[in-house]
Amino acid sequence: MRTLVVYCHPDAASFTSAVRDSALAALRSAGHDVRFTDLYEDEFDPVLSEAEHVNHLADPSTKPAIARYVDDLRWCRSLVLIYPTWWAGQPAMLKGWIDRVWMHGVAWELAAGSARLRPLLRNVRSITVVTTHGSSKWVNALEGEVGKRTVTRVLRSMCSRRCRTRWIALYGIDRSTDAQRQRFLARITRRLGR
Amino acid sequence: MRALLVVSHPSATSYTKAMAAAARRGLERGGHDVEELDLYTMGFQPAMTKAERDAYHGVDPMVDPAVQLSAALVKRADVLVFVYPTWWGGLPAMLKGWLEKTMVPGVAFVFDAENKVRPGLQTVQRIVGISSYGSKRPYVMLVNDNGRRVLLRALRLNTGWRTRRTWLPFYGIDTSTEDERIAFLDRVERAMAAL
Repeated sequence: MRTLVVYCHPDAASFTSAVRDSALAALRSAGHDVRFTDLYEDEFDPVLSEAEHVNHLADPSTKPAIARYVDDLRWCRSLVLIYPTWWAGQPAMLKGWIDRVWMHGVAWELAAGSARLRPLLRNVRSITVVTTHGSSKWVNALEGEVGKRTVTRVLRSMCSRRCRTRWIALYGIDRSTDAQRQRFLARITRRLGR
Repeated sequence: MRALLVVSHPSATSYTKAMAAAARRGLERGGHDVEELDLYTMGFQPAMTKAERDAYHGVDPMVDPAVQLSAALVKRADVLVFVYPTWWGGLPAMLKGWLEKTMVPGVAFVFDAENKVRPGLQTVQRIVGISSYGSKRPYVMLVNDNGRRVLLRALRLNTGWRTRRTWLPFYGIDTSTEDERIAFLDRVERAMAAL
């Protein structure tokens, strides 16, 4: 399956980079056709500019700086996001990729006279998130599962009606043991490798 | 009281900037001292860098001078007021990055001996959010109002127990009328004057 992996972490030696390696190996061994984006490596600019805001209804082809990201998103049938959860949600870098790339004409359109967004990423049949949380599952529940719902309710609403979402998370990484982290990597291999 | 306004919008003529101006007028009318961080105008860099990530758990986690300034203002603020447009159900990357970089160990929280997070924003008496939404309220409720939850729950967990919360939402801005927008600015000003 055509799979786009979007990875976000500033440190090449982080645990999230090990998560990335396990995920990519599992996806490739399962025979998926993988495109990979490393937002930090690309020095992606997460700031939606004034020009982009003013021209937010302009055709995507008028924004060549993000053309590759748009092309990848339209190409994939499966989207995999790999990132650390910070302040309950996606890091600013990844949020900026959403703010800028999931734009009008790519992720949605607004028919004349309608107040309802029409989804355009019908090609996306599944979204998988692989993330780590510093805090416990209990604290995340108390905070309202912000990161999870941004994906399962907001992003998903612009994808295929049958789009499935998978959430693969390690909670409490700040206080985790090496054995727990290794088990998490094994879980990624198992779940993405089929 | 001392209020810190944190404002995030790329355009100087935006409704968000009008909301921020209304908040400032109200706070000043109420006799509060107001300081303001306009993140786009400052050219704030929201993506946490490798150097910042490396420094995060160290003695001095703040590498960026704009972050040092932000943290100094947060530490002497009694009220934090966030003004922004809701994008994709949550905070714009600019504001999300400001939180990630400013609300670091030693400012928003400290790690205790067992590496558990303990609140650090003990002087903050109130958190206020003022945000416009493209969607109407039922849709915002359906998708979980994620920006509000970051500020009023996740950030709130790092303040004292008695910290109060105020949320001023303007839903459905895409289909709103001029009268509705003016009325909301008036509501913001009155709410801030009455803090």
